[in-house]
Amino acid sequence: MNIKHLSPEKLNERRMQAVKLRLDGVTVALASQQTGLSAPTVSAAWKSFREGGWSAVPVRPRGRLKGQANVLDTATQQRLWEALYAHPPAEQPGWSSADLAAFLRNEHGVELTQRGIEHWWESEGLKHEPWPLSALAKQRSQRGRWYRQAVAPRFDRLEEANQRWQGGVRRVVHPQRPVYQLYLHGPRGRMWMRCFKRPPVADDYLTAMQALIGKSEESNRPVALVFHGAWLSASPQVTAWLSQQTMFWLVPVPADMGLAS
Amino acid sequence: MTSLTHLQRLEAESIQIMREVVAETENPVMLYSVGKDSAVMLHLARKAFAPSPPPFPLLHVDTRWKFRAMYDFRDNMAEEIGMDLLVHINPEGIEKDINPFTHGSAIHTDVMKTEGLKQALDKYGFDAAFGGARRDEEKSRAKERIFSFRTAQHRWDPKNQRPELWKLYNTRKNGKESIRVFPISNWTELDIWQYIYLQNIPIVPLYYAAERPVVERDGALIMVDDERMPLEPGEVPMMRKVRFRTLGCYPLTGAVESEADTLPAIIQEMLLTKTSERQGRVIDSDSAASMEKKKQEGYF
Repeated sequence: MNIKHLSPEKLNERRMQAVKLRLDGVTVALASQQTGLSAPTVSAAWKSFREGGWSAVPVRPRGRLKGQANVLDTATQQRLWEALYAHPPAEQPGWSSADLAAFLRNEHGVELTQRGIEHWWESEGLKHEPWPLSALAKQRSQRGRWYRQAVAPRFDRLEEANQRWQGGVRRVVHPQRPVYQLYLHGPRGRMWMRCFKRPPVADDYLTAMQALIGKSEESNRPVALVFHGAWLSASPQVTAWLSQQTMFWLVPVPADMGLAS
Repeated sequence: MTSLTHLQRLEAESIQIMREVVAETENPVMLYSVGKDSAVMLHLARKAFAPSPPPFPLLHVDTRWKFRAMYDFRDNMAEEIGMDLLVHINPEGIEKDINPFTHGSAIHTDVMKTEGLKQALDKYGFDAAFGGARRDEEKSRAKERIFSFRTAQHRWDPKNQRPELWKLYNTRKNGKESIRVFPISNWTELDIWQYIYLQNIPIVPLYYAAERPVVERDGALIMVDDERMPLEPGEVPMMRKVRFRTLGCYPLTGAVESEADTLPAIIQEMLLTKTSERQGRVIDSDSAASMEKKKQEGYF
């Protein structure tokens, strides 16, 4: 019987009930039937009772207690912020969690997993989930029409996942610092980002886009970027750069498309 | 007898003021700035004189720098309600190409708004002008009477105002004096929004939150409404979900980041806000007591 859906409190109630039944002389099989617990669980509860009394019957609470989570120390957080505000590693469109982990390890001797960094992103409001663009293909809505007319004709011509990118820029509300985040999602939703203390300027966008082109140059394949959050066509610098690109397609997300998070 | 709600009391007071002005003055006009207060004023005026249209024209003192959505709304509204809409632009301002960027907000406001208003009032000989100012907007507006008398030169003397006890208004004036009348002076911003919601009054869409291209200028979010807005070198406008609590000339009006895209959401936001809508106006922070100074010189 699956008891994984039970809260620890409910599970403990049933374990206590099973022990009482066993004390009354009920068999393991019958106690299991009456409590909805599996026979091994009933036996385990009974064994715990015999070894440690009533206090040993309840299971330990699941997960970490509040406040026991691994929190990055202030110095490491400061280093991460400084990195995010600085230029990303060469040929990268931004900082990925792998890049940041390597940076901490190589520059500061701090061991931190990618997962740990992504948890920190989440706690700082930097985590951004990729939009489920392909799910729009069959939607009979404004978003669906936009996908079919603007995105699909480009994406369908690209064979590899690393040719299809999405990203944007947004202001992250942070209690201690000004944060303007330029984010990009590549293959399998992997995220690259760069942070700024002021709204990004044309050069910042172009650096990131150039890095995307650089990634595809090895295979000589074009790249498409679905981008949200900046009115790039208002910038003569960006417009001029885009007009020279033959291997880079920019698909701006129209206002109020409801894709931003 | 049933008691009136606070909005019904405010509505009744405003309607009484409008009828009083029409009864006591010869050539009134309603200043129409296309904002939410003007929308409420217009609605009240139509109610006050229904089934006839209000017996006065609308006057829009244009600066040529309002949001495009405001011009569209103004033109549609004038056509729909069938009232005379007078649009006045200071010809000297056009000639000198006065604008907020090269001349600054103070000169732009003085020439295009204050002088423009005075010119229009003189040109048409209006002796009373309804305005949509409210006491809660700004401190100099808080102390201005509902019937605010202006000299022949349109100047306001805050130290020489008439008492308005028990809602009795003294409308007597000397030959060349004029009156600025503020029927919604006692309303708050929240009252305005509740009234708009209850009466289903159309307003400019800029009041609702939407993604709009904005740039940051001295901490204010300024919408890039047309190609006249000069961008800094390399600057790229960001698309942010913003709305406007107050509307004026677009380079001088700051937006606020908001998710309120419906009237109930705006009202809910109003219930939590602790700042005046006028904080979004660059012209109000020109200098200390600038609004009072501008009003003394004839600003609305």
